[in-house]
Amino acid sequence: MGVNMALPDPRRAVSEPIPAAAGIGLRFPHHRAVVERRPAVAWFEVHTENYMGGGAPIQYLETIRRDYPISLHGVGLSLGSAAGLDREHLERVRQVAARIEPGLISDHLSWSISDGLYLGDLLPLPMTEEVLDVVCRNVQQFQEAVGRRVLIENPSSYLRFRHSTIPEWEFLAAVAARTGCGILCDVNNIFVSAANHGGDAGHYLASLPAAAIGEIHLAGHARKDLGHGREIRIDDHGSRVDPAVWHLYMEAIDRFGPVPTLIEWDTNVPPLEILIEEAATATAILDENRSRNAYARAS
Amino acid sequence: MPMPALLELQRDFARGLLAADDPGATPWILGDAVTAADRAAVHRNTFVGVIVAAMRITYPVVERLVGAEFFEAAAQLFLQDHPPRSAYLNAYGAEFAAFLAAFPPAAALGYLPDVARLEWAVAGAATAEDAPPLDPAALASLSPEQLEALRLVPHPSLRLVALATPADAIWRAIASGQEDALGTIAIAGDPFTVVVHRSPNGVMLRRLTATELAVTAALSLGSPIGTALAGAPEAEAMTLLADHLASGRFTRAEAPDLPQEA
Repeated sequence: MGVNMALPDPRRAVSEPIPAAAGIGLRFPHHRAVVERRPAVAWFEVHTENYMGGGAPIQYLETIRRDYPISLHGVGLSLGSAAGLDREHLERVRQVAARIEPGLISDHLSWSISDGLYLGDLLPLPMTEEVLDVVCRNVQQFQEAVGRRVLIENPSSYLRFRHSTIPEWEFLAAVAARTGCGILCDVNNIFVSAANHGGDAGHYLASLPAAAIGEIHLAGHARKDLGHGREIRIDDHGSRVDPAVWHLYMEAIDRFGPVPTLIEWDTNVPPLEILIEEAATATAILDENRSRNAYARAS
Repeated sequence: MPMPALLELQRDFARGLLAADDPGATPWILGDAVTAADRAAVHRNTFVGVIVAAMRITYPVVERLVGAEFFEAAAQLFLQDHPPRSAYLNAYGAEFAAFLAAFPPAAALGYLPDVARLEWAVAGAATAEDAPPLDPAALASLSPEQLEALRLVPHPSLRLVALATPADAIWRAIASGQEDALGTIAIAGDPFTVVVHRSPNGVMLRRLTATELAVTAALSLGSPIGTALAGAPEAEAMTLLADHLASGRFTRAEAPDLPQEA
């Protein structure tokens, strides 16, 4: 007996959890540096879509996951599609998750697919009861496919629909309550959305259900001049985190406690050292929160 | 106007992304100093930018040959005819070679569609499913009869690409950063076929003679080794078979009619 049993690979920890520390979004230009230098980074997150299929990308990720907890962050499930999920894509996500056994798995409160066409962006949803039902159904299907709880991220917002009736924070809280999923709170997206619509970022943050927050994202954004004194903020992940977003992050940690925090940088990807510097800023804020709470408990 | 159901709204929105002159979902979008159209344009810019970036990753040599501006314009026109069908963008862009062949501004570059055809095969090979190479040692103990009866299973990355121009030499010069060599490549010549596959050292290209093509095509379609090699001079066929196995172009050997070796 036992000859047909698949033995676990001893090098492989099972689903290493993502620590409540600062991680970095891993992009292809840094694969080699991470494997060769093993920098002191608490964890890495990758875009699931970049590791589908075989070859060098997934092999790098399998090597890196031996030394670091890995989070899989999807951009292609289109959880807000009225017609439901693309089953082939869901299967590809499931396969990457089965191979990497990530500590966290996530995607967005948005849509990208209509009538079988993929539209290459995280597109906005009307915040209505109809859409809430659609999103909850799709999130449940996602969770069933990967066999675990997932996190759903608030997107950056450039437009709102006339017929929306539910504030986004309430919508996210309802999805979490109905499906059991967690919330990936992108603090930069809250800031960008508030700037683009004249909302109150602090109020958004304070209205989220703290117990559901499983991860925070931080990134840089750009200001696009539209002429005549008008501008729109674009979440391009192409620069350092804005000072105002660091302040909002401090508010978030005050409210949520220490949460896994990711630095994302996707356009004009800088040397790894810059990302490590940004992560160190987040670490300092997390540490400060921990020591303040320890002091509060002691006194 | 009654408010649209989500399915209708997404269709309207998609039309606006695919065609700049379509109002899309703007009637349902709130506008202020920043109009509904300004706001929807952010998403259209991202959509086009993401897809063009994916094309750049798949077709870097085409881009190098025509320049960034030409490439972006061509990729945008291609996008209008061929919107992506999946969020798996590695699978996007299959028809680009055919598009370039019928693209008048590229007519002077007769080799460009071939370069695109080759790059599509290279990109596909780079991310094809993983599979271990067939270990040639596993065949060493077989009798000639047993060997001839075997059928080889191609590695998932194996592709045969028919070319009418020396696109492989152009690809190699640019991919290896030796663009000075481009001037020495003679564009005229007979059509030929390249076998492309992914080895542990990366994607490999090898030109095939007519004989080698016949053998390789038969092997990759699952003919028994004896049948695939039958029409070829023995020395050439055995050298080719040894090269295929040493290079890892096949992943398994199947011998359905023979008892399994221990």
